[in-house]
Amino acid sequence: MRSANDRVGWSRVDWKTILIFVVLVFMGWLNIYAAVYNETSMLGFDFSAKYGMQLIWIGISAVVAIIILLIDDIYYHLMAYPAYALMLLVLFLTLFIGKEINGAKSWFVLGPVSVQPAEFMKVATALAIARFMSDYSFSFSRTKDLVSVGLLLLVPIAIILLQNDMGSALVYCSFFVVFYREGLNSWVYYAIFLVVGLFVGSFLLSDTALLIVLLLLFVVSQFLSNRNPRESVWFVASVMLLSLVIYGLAWAFGWGLRYYSALLISSLVMLVPALIYAYRNKLSTIYLFAIMFVGSLLFLGAVDFVFNDILQLHQQKRILDLLGIESDLRGWGYNVHQSKIAIGSGGLFGKGFLQGTQTKYDFIPEQSTDFIFCTVGEEWGFVGSAVVIALFGALIVRLMRMGERQQEPFRRVYCYGVAGIFLFHTLINIGMTIGLMPVIGIPLPMFSYGGSSLLSFTILFFIAVRLDSQNSSIGATYRF
Amino acid sequence: MARSRSEILQWFVVALFLVVGLRLFHIQIVDRSYRRAAENNVLRYEVQYPPRGEIYDRNGEFLAQSVASYDLMVVPRNIPESGFDTVALAKIADVSVEQLRKAIQSAKSFSSTRASVVVRQMSTEAKLLFDEGGFDGFYTLFHTQRSYPRKIAGNLLGYIGQVNDDIIQRNPYYSRGDYIGYSGIESAYEELLRGEKGEKISVVDVSGAVKGPYQEGHYDRMAVAGTPITTTIDASLQEFAEELMKGKVGSVIAIEPSTGEILVMVSSPTYDPDQLMGRDRGSNYVEMLNNPRQPLFNRAVMSSYPPGSTFKLVNGLIGLQEGVVTPSMEYACNEGYHVGRGVKCHNHRSPLDLREAVSNSCNAYFCHVFRNILDNPKRGGIGEGGYDNWEEYVRSFGFGKKLGSDFASERAGFVPSAEFYDNYYPKWNSLTVISMAIGQGELGCSPLQMANLAAIMANRGYYYIPHVVKHIDGRDSIDARFYEPHYTKVDKRYFEPIIDGMWGTVHREIGSAGVAYVEGLNICGKTGTAQNPHGKDHSTFLAFAPRHNPKIAISVYVENGGFGSSVAAPIASLLIEKYLNGEVARPELVEYIKQMKIAYPNYEKR
Repeated sequence: MRSANDRVGWSRVDWKTILIFVVLVFMGWLNIYAAVYNETSMLGFDFSAKYGMQLIWIGISAVVAIIILLIDDIYYHLMAYPAYALMLLVLFLTLFIGKEINGAKSWFVLGPVSVQPAEFMKVATALAIARFMSDYSFSFSRTKDLVSVGLLLLVPIAIILLQNDMGSALVYCSFFVVFYREGLNSWVYYAIFLVVGLFVGSFLLSDTALLIVLLLLFVVSQFLSNRNPRESVWFVASVMLLSLVIYGLAWAFGWGLRYYSALLISSLVMLVPALIYAYRNKLSTIYLFAIMFVGSLLFLGAVDFVFNDILQLHQQKRILDLLGIESDLRGWGYNVHQSKIAIGSGGLFGKGFLQGTQTKYDFIPEQSTDFIFCTVGEEWGFVGSAVVIALFGALIVRLMRMGERQQEPFRRVYCYGVAGIFLFHTLINIGMTIGLMPVIGIPLPMFSYGGSSLLSFTILFFIAVRLDSQNSSIGATYRF
Repeated sequence: MARSRSEILQWFVVALFLVVGLRLFHIQIVDRSYRRAAENNVLRYEVQYPPRGEIYDRNGEFLAQSVASYDLMVVPRNIPESGFDTVALAKIADVSVEQLRKAIQSAKSFSSTRASVVVRQMSTEAKLLFDEGGFDGFYTLFHTQRSYPRKIAGNLLGYIGQVNDDIIQRNPYYSRGDYIGYSGIESAYEELLRGEKGEKISVVDVSGAVKGPYQEGHYDRMAVAGTPITTTIDASLQEFAEELMKGKVGSVIAIEPSTGEILVMVSSPTYDPDQLMGRDRGSNYVEMLNNPRQPLFNRAVMSSYPPGSTFKLVNGLIGLQEGVVTPSMEYACNEGYHVGRGVKCHNHRSPLDLREAVSNSCNAYFCHVFRNILDNPKRGGIGEGGYDNWEEYVRSFGFGKKLGSDFASERAGFVPSAEFYDNYYPKWNSLTVISMAIGQGELGCSPLQMANLAAIMANRGYYYIPHVVKHIDGRDSIDARFYEPHYTKVDKRYFEPIIDGMWGTVHREIGSAGVAYVEGLNICGKTGTAQNPHGKDHSTFLAFAPRHNPKIAISVYVENGGFGSSVAAPIASLLIEKYLNGEVARPELVEYIKQMKIAYPNYEKR
């Protein structure tokens, strides 16, 4: 039994991880100060300025963190579903009584402060998912469970999308990290990578090249699983031959057929003998790869259709710019361009604290919120940026290891959920500022200016720390 | 299974952060273009234009002044999204809204982040109004423009204009938008007048607002004002000469013989130099270019005329020096020289001696002199150096070569060499080239060279290179070449008889230019009536005064003016009178010259 004075388990609190967190918060605040810094108007400390406000939020967060550490961990398990339900309600209400800021109706105004319920929804969702997936009967192979987890995610996503806050909705993708850890079929991830790869490829490669790549992918992957070199070569050779015959005939008859079409026809035709071969030799993986092959082709067609006929011009441009195909430095691409300039101009050691010209003279829009990393890059240089991303990396890996050492699935799943959310936010945000990721307006944890964001990350993190500090084998105590 | 997935996830995190790190490494350390882009963002390089040096006349009067002018610049990116009051700005800049829109559009298509000129040459008042208006994205750039208080000496002063691409490529000092002197003094003394451009580097914020100097102005350079130049020109005399030459095509040049300083340099038709300044410059310039009388062509130094009878002075001097003629030698003239092709002469008493021949401008007499020089057996006759000898003499008078004045556009004129004739004639002799005896034929010289001849006559045998700059601010002297006397090959003692003849031109009854007489001034002159293929004879007169210790040497050349005595001589006389007496006592002659109509069918034909 635990002793009364060690209810919190201070001795088992992961102070090192907390230190990383606190250092990041401190660095974040310095950068907010630098971002709003202005030589002429910085006489004395001003609590109504952004850095002052942020300091107040840091204070609030500290108090909340301590409270979280003091609350008996049993309540996090207990309150998971009620919190989830409550937050859903708040989120839902925001749709009607919320305030619209920057086109997203996702703000809740309480007197002098505005909060973003979507930020806190992440905490509730992480708890609810942990609670649900830690159920002893839970399994990804059960459709009912799969659908339930899906719903736990999709309901908040749907409401947030209705608020027109794409970025916050995308954050829920981060739970795929937990799902992977908890055993979701690897094929889902292969499929995700394939889809992303195909999507990017569809813009960078010609359709013929893409088709050849897919064909080779199909043959090579089935060869790896079936070890049938003779048949593989035979298949490739006959597809090529057939395509040339079709192309030649079409040319002779003057049909104006592109080689792509000839190759497409011949590869689809040759799938028939391939499938017969698979059936005879009972090589079931060939079916799978064939489905992926055909599915990829359909997906490519869909991408073309969606891109050309459904996406709006500005969305098309964002995608093209991200892939380095097109850039519009006057229009929306200006942000990323300026952001890259600011970070790139930092050099090895940076221009020094408060010395960033791009930062100081407002060349970067949203520089204290979404583009706060510009200030880090410009003033602290590569060395400072590397330290910051190393700290983030360490924090995330430590959160995963924290999850790994839990004996109780609820704690483990929750820790991974937190790690996933931190990972997603950090990568998307920093990636966006250096042109690796599309511009999705989500904050950089602990750095971006904003109370809701800081508070929600604090809550997320300290619940994980709290659960970890009470790591016990008596998981049964939770079950009533 | 679970353990390995955890490891995969952790490696996955490490890998992703490594990608981010590599990307950071690339844009922060490998790729330097971002650093440059950052500087382009915040640093604004502003050229500081110095005021151009003033140009004064010899008495310290302004010929060209520098006045402040402001170019309206725009950085299109910094124009607020909400736009600006186009109508108000157009009104301040004194252009139409349409023009303003067009200029901004073209600035945008040039660059959105770099500055372009929108409106040129706004006045100081407009600049002050603009400053009050607070138009984001726009600013003004100080320039100096020229203003010409006397509105005289267009070709002499020259004009300034924006540099073209060619100049920018050849001379790294200049960059787009700079001004450069294109002709006249502005061009000759460009490097002094322009001063030294400065540069101010400011730090600007995203809206283009200046946040202060870069590095406390450590890298700024102050502009150095252009050097004022005092010219040798006498503004009132120049103005008077221009008035007299109005409606006539030709040139007037007056030189102070003792120094070679150019007192007057008129190329007519001239133009008001202010016309090549300011916003109407373009249209005025095109108009002048299309003017058949070519006002932009500086006839004083660039044209080549037959010197006509004024050239007899040279032949007379050479004859005396060579000993082939003496002052008392007489030649008969029966209305011309009737050997070979022959040269006609007017009806006058015969025979005449050298002095009388100069005064009367007898053609026959100088045909004899000329043939005596060329065929002089002492020099081996024309085939063996007689001609070359003559040519050498002529060149020593500054003909057939550039004098080396401050005008880069100065032309050399033409004195034919023996080879030149060898190419034309299988066999030629002194009769073939006889027209040069009286300054006709192949000879070509610029009005500057003719005025220089007047100065040589005044100096009795030498000249200083004619020049227009008297004093450069901050320097003790002008170019050394202007202090060096150039001697002709004729001794001083041979000048007196010829000068006697020149005096007679004006003072004796036999003289050809009694009209030039002014009591007490002792004007010595020589008329010329130059035949030319373009129509009526050119009227020319070459003179200096007073006879002893001359103060002014002058050459007047009026195209198609007829006899030397009919236009050129009175003009020269009036100018000498004004210069020496300070005023003109012959208003009716002034009026007569001003009213004179000369037809130029040749120019109108184009």
